Amino acid sequence: MPGIEYILEALTPLNLLLALLGVTAGTVIGSIPGLTATMSVAVLVPITFSMNPGSALLMMGAIYTGALYGGAYAAILLNTPGTPSAIATTFDGFPMAKKGEGDLAVTLACVASVSGGLVGAAFLLFLAPPLAEVALAFGPVEYFWLAIFGLTLISALSEGNLLKGLIGACFGLLLACIGIAEISADVRFTFGSQVLLGGIEIVSALIGLYCIPVLIDLVATPDKHLEITHKSKSFRLIEAITIAWRHKFSLLRSSVIGTLVGILPGAGGSIAGLVSYSEARRTSARRDSFGKGEPEGVLATESANNATVGGGFIPTLVLGIPGTPPDAVILGALLIQGVRTGPSLFTDGGSIVYTFIYGLFIATILMFPVGLLVGRYAYKTIISVPKALLVPAVAFMTILGTFSIRNSVSDIVIMIILGVIGWILNRFGFSPSPIVLGLILGSIAEQGFVQAWTIGSATDELGKMFFGRPISLTIIAFICFSLFYPILRKRWKAFKMRGSDDIK
Amino acid sequence: MTSSKMTKKNQNYGELVLPGLFILIAVIALWDTTNMMDSDSYVFPRAIAIAMIILNLLLIARKLLNLTNDKEQTRTVGASTFRRVALIIGMLISCMIMPYLGFLLSGIITFIFLMIISMYDEWTIKNKIIYPSTALITVIGFYLLFSKILLVPLPTGVFFD
Repeated sequence: MPGIEYILEALTPLNLLLALLGVTAGTVIGSIPGLTATMSVAVLVPITFSMNPGSALLMMGAIYTGALYGGAYAAILLNTPGTPSAIATTFDGFPMAKKGEGDLAVTLACVASVSGGLVGAAFLLFLAPPLAEVALAFGPVEYFWLAIFGLTLISALSEGNLLKGLIGACFGLLLACIGIAEISADVRFTFGSQVLLGGIEIVSALIGLYCIPVLIDLVATPDKHLEITHKSKSFRLIEAITIAWRHKFSLLRSSVIGTLVGILPGAGGSIAGLVSYSEARRTSARRDSFGKGEPEGVLATESANNATVGGGFIPTLVLGIPGTPPDAVILGALLIQGVRTGPSLFTDGGSIVYTFIYGLFIATILMFPVGLLVGRYAYKTIISVPKALLVPAVAFMTILGTFSIRNSVSDIVIMIILGVIGWILNRFGFSPSPIVLGLILGSIAEQGFVQAWTIGSATDELGKMFFGRPISLTIIAFICFSLFYPILRKRWKAFKMRGSDDIK
Repeated sequence: MTSSKMTKKNQNYGELVLPGLFILIAVIALWDTTNMMDSDSYVFPRAIAIAMIILNLLLIARKLLNLTNDKEQTRTVGASTFRRVALIIGMLISCMIMPYLGFLLSGIITFIFLMIISMYDEWTIKNKIIYPSTALITVIGFYLLFSKILLVPLPTGVFFD
């Protein structure tokens, strides 16, 4: 057990202040659609260059954890995930807000994010070196199957229409192929357009597919954006903690899932949120209310995506392989500071690493009051702003957020067009989530598929390459389970009901 | 919110047209891959395009055989198509004028235009003062935050260079 001196070092007034500033800045930036956790860290990272490495790492971790939580606000209140990690939060968060429970959903997200963040940090503290080996066990084909697993999960979850979900996922994967090819650098599907050369930017697509349909429906009627069923005077904290306590096992399981998925480089919070949401729904007694504003759904996704912070730092610090995109930015900043990550960091640089891990605990705890306050302000703003200001403000934010990613006006046009397409598809039962996840996971899936294909073809063992490795087979089993479990459950239920009717 | 069931006829029509469009997209993608020389470039998109065609054919077959158990989609009654179209056109025009007028000016124009089309309340004197002032404060505030603090190079406009 690392010594108390590191705890004291993490608790210095300067480090506490940096953690508080980092969490606040991350939460505010993460709440703006288009500004992701990666951007929050990247934008604020130069501030840390003049600090000592431990404090710098602590502040970057605090920004990262705050930004992941901040993404939940837009997901709950506007049906637009502030960050890709909050995609699954929209499933139950927005229906809760529509029912007038937006304040409770925001508080639940805060409680879950803090719990998930603490579990992730605990794994980082106690199990970092052995868990880092997991990341090395995953080869290209495993990443391909993992991406497919994420897509089948979201297809099965999003609207309850598997076939349409899978079509949406394929559409997203094809959109991800636009531009320069991942491995061979060939130009694909641009049809001579210079604008499409850079491909479709993921966050722009996310903003378009989620936010524009909301705006289109918002502007069309004089109805209020969100229902207000009661005069909310408090954070509804007791209620949120009671719900969280009732679902404590689900919360813990989601946090562990988030940590383990976070360890896998590139997988990130979006898959973590989906896997934990799917598990929570599968095991819940109230599974039929998932997708209609079930608090357990918000708890599962938000705890999982914040647990990826600690999980992602495991391969980053132990192996020097960034677990998530913000980890890559943090890794770069550490290299600038002269810190060499790797197994020896935990022994040679114990002061930096353990100060940071304890700092991450502190930052996560500080996220509780900060998150509650910012969340309350965000909720009150959204419900009190008149439509004539809300619509242009959100539209303006989508334009600004999209432009700021690549400084490209073309990205804004693509974002708007995708939004209109998303609105039309939505009217015929195609959810935006599989399309967005297809775009996000497209490059991971393609890299894994093409590398496995090339190796398999060269060794004349194509079948064995895709279906002959133990981890791959396990993930394939999960894929089959996620695809066929709802159908089998339905059949089993019908069979049981028939049986009981016969007895009567 | 007042809502009614989307007309069955329209939904049936869309249920067949959309898979047809997806198949067309997949066929175009397959055709485009024939120009690629390196197998690393085309193996993945071809696999996805073929999967997309199969899935859409299954969707069409399911619809034609009446095996679908889709939830009926709801449509808002009395929703203004004009405002919806104006919103999209307003946002697209904002993109077109941005390189010329700069982000700040085009942002203010777009904000005010979208404010007008989403206004359902009466334009009282109070509203006439508060709403445009809020628009100005919001746009200028975010412009300064992004351009001066976050250092995003927002367009200044060719007329103001």
